[in-house]
This record gives sequence, C-alpha cells and structure tokens, in this order.
Amino acid sequence: MTAAGATLGGTRRSAIREFGSSVVTIMVKELRSRMRGRRAFIVLTVYLAILALITYGVYVVVAPNAGGLAGGFGGFGGQANASALIGQSIFTLLSIFQLILVCFIAPAFTAGQISMEREKQTLDLLISTPMRPGAIVVGKLAAALAFVVLMIVAAIPITAIVLMYGGASVDDIVRQQLVLLATALGLGAIGLFYSALLKRTQAATVLTYITVLGMTLGTTMLFIFWTVVVNQDENGGFGVGPPERAPEQLMYINPMVGMLDVVANTEPGGFGGINQMLAQLRGDAPDFNGGVECQGDVCRPIDQFGNPVDAVIETGSGYWWPRVAITSAILAAILTLAATRLVVPPGMRWALRKPRRPRSLPGASAAGDPPLEGAPAIQELREEPEPER
Amino acid sequence: MMSTSVPVVETRGLVKRYGDQLAVAGVDLVVGPGEIYGLVGPNGAGKTTMMKILATLLSQTAGEAYVTGIPVDADPLEVRRRIGYMPDFYGVYDDLRVWEYLDFFARCYGVPANRRTTMIGELLEIVGLTEKRESYVEALSRGMRQRLCLAHTLVHDPALLILDEPASGLDPRARVEMREILRELRLMGKTILVSSHILPELGEMCTGVAIIDHGRLLRSGSIDDIERSLRATALLRIDLLGDEAAVTAAREWLGTDARIADVLEGVIKSDGAVRIEASFDGAPEAQAELLRTMVEAGHRVVGFSHATSDLEEIFLKVTGQTAEEAAA
Repeated sequence: MTAAGATLGGTRRSAIREFGSSVVTIMVKELRSRMRGRRAFIVLTVYLAILALITYGVYVVVAPNAGGLAGGFGGFGGQANASALIGQSIFTLLSIFQLILVCFIAPAFTAGQISMEREKQTLDLLISTPMRPGAIVVGKLAAALAFVVLMIVAAIPITAIVLMYGGASVDDIVRQQLVLLATALGLGAIGLFYSALLKRTQAATVLTYITVLGMTLGTTMLFIFWTVVVNQDENGGFGVGPPERAPEQLMYINPMVGMLDVVANTEPGGFGGINQMLAQLRGDAPDFNGGVECQGDVCRPIDQFGNPVDAVIETGSGYWWPRVAITSAILAAILTLAATRLVVPPGMRWALRKPRRPRSLPGASAAGDPPLEGAPAIQELREEPEPER
Repeated sequence: MMSTSVPVVETRGLVKRYGDQLAVAGVDLVVGPGEIYGLVGPNGAGKTTMMKILATLLSQTAGEAYVTGIPVDADPLEVRRRIGYMPDFYGVYDDLRVWEYLDFFARCYGVPANRRTTMIGELLEIVGLTEKRESYVEALSRGMRQRLCLAHTLVHDPALLILDEPASGLDPRARVEMREILRELRLMGKTILVSSHILPELGEMCTGVAIIDHGRLLRSGSIDDIERSLRATALLRIDLLGDEAAVTAAREWLGTDARIADVLEGVIKSDGAVRIEASFDGAPEAQAELLRTMVEAGHRVVGFSHATSDLEEIFLKVTGQTAEEAAA
C-alpha cells in the first residue's frame, strides 16, 4: 500500500463509510427486535393518549376561567387573550410533561444496551467482529434514541393544537423539540455509559436514574443551598449588599431549566412566574425575596421590601435553553466516547489505538497480501462498497 | 503456492497472566493451513485464554501470536476479518429470526447486500437449519443454536475458525452432527482450531492436537506421534473360557512373561467368558507371538485384543507424567 495522499484520503473516506454502515447494522438489528410485535405500538399509543388527555384536561380546567384570568392579568379583556391563555397553558403543561417523560424513557431504553449484551453473553460475538467499538456504541445509542425521537416527533401534532389557540408560536414548538431531543440524547448517553461501565443492567438502570435525579432536582437544591450559604454572614443572618449566587453553570445540566426557559417565552408580555424565577437564577433579579412589579405593560424589578431596584431585567427567554441543549450534547459526546472505551474488553482497551507495527513472520507475506486461499474472498468483501438499500 | 507455507496460527512464547495467576505459560503453537487442530486440556488449562488471545478479545502479557502472519495485538481488526470465533459460553439474540441473525453478522463483517441472501441459504444448508430459516432463534434447541453460532462464524468466509468447546452440552446425536459439519468445513479448506475437554471427540477428526495443562503445552503433533512419543504400553484384553482354576492358571502363566506388567483380576462377561487385562510392553508382532504361545500352552482364548490408547488415555498419561515430574 502506498502512502500517497489520494490513497490516504480514500482510506479515510472508506473508513467513515465503514463506520456508518456498522452503525446502520446495529440500528437495523436493534430496531428489528424492538419494533417487532405490539409492544412499540402500544407504548407509543399510550404515550400519545396521555398527552392528548393532558391537553384536554388543561382545556377543561383553564377554558371556563380564561376570560377572567386574561382580563385581569394584562388589562386586556376579551377572547383573543383568553384563547392565548388556553394555548399557553396547554403548551406549558405539555412541554413539562414531555420533558419528564423523556427523562424517564430515554435512560430506560439505553441503560440495558451494553450490559444486556454482557448478561446474555452476546457481547463477545459482537466485539470479535471487525466493527469498531465506537460504531457499536453509536449504533446502540442511535437505535435506542430512534424510538424516543419517534415518540417526541409523534407528539408534535398534539402540541400543534396550541397554534389554533395562540399563545405559543411555531418557534416555541421548534425550541421545545430541540430541548426534548437534546435531553433525550444527553440522558440516553448517560444510560449507555453506565450500561457499558457496569456488568448488570439493574445496577446501570438504578445509577442512571439517580444521576438523572441529581441533574434535575439535585442541581436545583444544590443551587438554592449554595446560594443561601454564600449569602449568610458570620452571624448567621443574611448580609446586606449585592447577593452572591451559586455558579449558574450548575443549572446548565438541568434539562428542566432549559424547558422552563422555552415555556417562559410564551408567558404573556414576557413576564410571569417562570420568567421571574429564571431571572433570579441568572442574577438579574435583585434577590430571592424580591420580584417583579407590573403595572399594565410596564414591569420593574423590586426588592424584598417592594422598593423598585435599578437593575435591568432582560425580558424574554433564550438565555438558558441553548446553554442547556449544548451542554447536553457535549455531555452525550463525552459519555459516548467513554462508553466506547469501556465496551472493548479489559486488556484490549488501548490495543486498538496502538500504532500499527509492521511486523510479519520471516518468510511470511505482509499483512496486506492475500496469504491464504480463503483470504482473497475476504479482501474482495472489503473492497466492495455496500449498496444502499 | 508459496503462501501456503504461512502457518494459519502461530504463537511464540505466548504468556497471559491474570494478576498472580499464570493462565498461559509460554506456548509455542503452529497450525498449518487446512488442519483441524485440537486443543485438549482439563478445565482451566488455558485453552479458552489462548483462543481469546487469537480472537483478539484479550491481549497477551508477553510473547507473540499471529493469525495468517498478522500479529493479533498490532492489527486486531484485520485479524478479525480472517477468523470466525465461537466462544465456549455465548448467548444468541432470541428475538431475531434465524436468517436475520445471520444477516446481522454478515452486515457486521461488511458482506455486501447482494451476496448475503444466497450466502445465508448456503450456510443454513451446511449446518442443517434450512427449515428453520424463518423461526425465531428463541425456539431453537441447544444443538441448533450451537450450529447457528457455528454458521455465524462462517458469514465472512474466514480462513480460520476458532471454536471453543463447540460440542459442550450437546447430546450424543448433536455431537455427531457437529463433528460431521466440522469435517465438511475441513473439506472446504478451512483451518479449524477446536478445543475440548472431551478427548475422544477430537481424536476422530483432528489432524493434530496440543495437550495443554496449567497453561503449558505438554505435547503437540498428530495423535499417532504423541502416542509413539509416549511409547505407549498396550493394554491387552484376553477373554478366556473355563472355570476359576483355568483362569488363575492363565493369569499365572501370563505373570511369568517379563514383558507383562500387572495382570488384573478376571471379570466375568455376559457371555460367560472371563476377561483379564494386562499391560504388555511390545509391538503387535510380539502380541501375536504371545497369543500363539498362550494358545499352545492350552489356554482357551476366545478373545484377544488390545485397547487402543485413545486420546483420553494419552491425556491422562501426559498430565500424569507432568504431575510426577512436578512431584519429583
């Protein structure tokens, strides 16, 4: 083999193609067994039925009072705002509920992917194929997420009902989808990582859920606790002066914050409970005891005594969700890489990365040459690109 | 062809250590093209470890291992394309159909789509599972699963098959079927490295065996070679007619021969004859001579045979010797 640039580029391209076809191979196999029978159909149906029920429930609860609520809030009465309030309520609940479901479902689908192969003693057969461990791991993740993505995407028509009522726009739905997908990816990768790390699916599942709990409730509690602690003076009371906060990066790994940020954008006038909360997280609101005072359309931040503060509140969302989504994606990439290492049997973990030593037996043909009668057929196999199906 | 001189498997001073434990202690092994080579040894002898190293699932602590001239630790992916590996314990994907199972592995090895269908048909033919093509793997019997797993090692037409205890847990009939398949594969030009702790199984089909114990290669070569190298003393089985006195006389007569070691107590067979066994140090000619003189001496011999030392016996002898050496 020559080391000419063209050949090198060709090898790289064929390596990528090989990687891709390995991923597809794993996905086809996983989906064949996963989507067969009624289980997938039933799971999807139940999921959509629950979402539809929530939508209907919100409508039933909100609609009779919508006129009054909308009128009282912004000073504008009438049908338009009432309708928007219904839409916004539905959107908020659907988004949060879907996120919670994804938090439960995505790890459940991935936490067994590798450990199950170990338990059923099929991993050795898989590893002894020439597929790269990375392709196996990515294929597993993609196959597990394919169904989660199907669930998320299948719910779009239900979410789209809010477009009829107003209160949330297509942009909001797109953002909601992005956060859901990023969350599924990140949490799915966590499950896959534990699955590769631990021998037992049960242990992997438990640890995955503990981690997910830590990322959602845990970060929130830690953030509050941290903030309280750093704001205490030596006498145990709350100090005066600008309050300090826990590092906001803590909340980047909390998918709930991302979703609340998306939902916050639909709050009338860009202000409401969620916006206030997020602003406080960000440190734009004066402190935890203050809030926002609105008179008509004009809103001002106030401190805990109700006095206006000069700090400027940036209204509208868009601060948290991109950060949360990107963090989730980065987390997924790191954990997938780690899982790739863990899938390789111990002792061989770094062997695949060793530089190839051009060693051969004395009198033996080089590795590239066909040394045996059986070999040419194999070479031919490798050269032929796999046609798309 | 020049290339046929390359051994399919070659190890030099192969060592694998698990912590303090030495699983493989410097094994030199050469398997030529087209051989069925048996690795024989008790459980825990290091057979599986060796096979895993060759299958690139373990890395060796020291020494070298080559498959078709390619070092297994330096280029595992290339080695994997040339071997089909069947582990001693393995699972199958229950929820796939038989053809889907093979199709999956064919894809894993990058077999092009246009060849997969015909290839799967051929493989099912070889392992006798054609009728089960559409069945779920779940529904297969143990023997069928074993054959399916064997078929999966063949999807990419490898030069070398590494089969770790392919007949373990099978009933006698399934064992025979498995053996027939291996013979057929050998005719197709595959080199097969097969392990077993059930020795006679290998004796019938292997062109060579390596006896392994405690990670060391005790003997290797063809079964005949090993037998000869041990200068195996034949175990004679002599069936006699007559009463107790006649049998005692025959035993005493045998005892006077210098070439005969311990003469065992007679056992009454179902046909009324009494079988006595004695170890005899001598070639077949000497055995014939012994029979002639015995008959001439008036003993009523109705059966005279020597138990061919099978692999099991060889194995016990070899490992027994080692135990003695170790004790000495």
